[in-house]
Amino acid sequence: MPALRFLVAVALCATALAAAAEENTKVTLQNKLAQCQGCHGIDGWKTAYPEVYHVPKLGGQKAAYIVNALKEYKSGERDFGTMHAMAEYLSDDDMKQLADYFAGQGGKSAENSPPAAGGGK
Amino acid sequence: MKRAMKGLLVAALACTCVTALAASGDPEAGMKKSTPCQACHGPKGISVSPEFPNLAGQNEDYIVASLHHYKDGHRKNPIMVGQAANLSERDIRDLAAYFSEQSGLYVKN
Repeated sequence: MPALRFLVAVALCATALAAAAEENTKVTLQNKLAQCQGCHGIDGWKTAYPEVYHVPKLGGQKAAYIVNALKEYKSGERDFGTMHAMAEYLSDDDMKQLADYFAGQGGKSAENSPPAAGGGK
Repeated sequence: MKRAMKGLLVAALACTCVTALAASGDPEAGMKKSTPCQACHGPKGISVSPEFPNLAGQNEDYIVASLHHYKDGHRKNPIMVGQAANLSERDIRDLAAYFSEQSGLYVKN
């Protein structure tokens, strides 16, 4: 009987840990997304160095393209200091989740925006 | 004095117009030049493969900067380096004007 009690206790602990881990992942991804949005989430935002131009719009972009771009920034194959610093700490899974977010529908500004991928005039 | 001022003003305005014209591309001309781009990026700027970026609605100056980077070798994608090699400054600006005017990409927040 004590064995059963022990098993229940272990199961409860495992559930709590899993929930905590999930919460942790959520927070981390939110933090990573916030870093993207500091530039890509602001309409009209421009780079400052080494050249000045508008940062690319990511809403409605192809997910696989975004993942590849992040990998290239991380490896240095695509050479841009700001994006290297951002991509350096992203795992493959982070990249996929961020890319899926930008490629997918929705977001606060979506209702004021033209249809994303598949649309066009 | 008044006349001279007027003359200066007209000259200044003319300069501004000429500068503005030189800086921005012609989307109509861009459309005509965009046939090779369309093979991958789609006729409406929505690309045919998940590996290729959509261009519809992308910021004009970002497209210009990207094409410059392919042309000068800063960005190394072999397909795009080949495509950009023969584009003139006028071509780059016209193509950027054409794709940026389409609707598709947006600022997601």
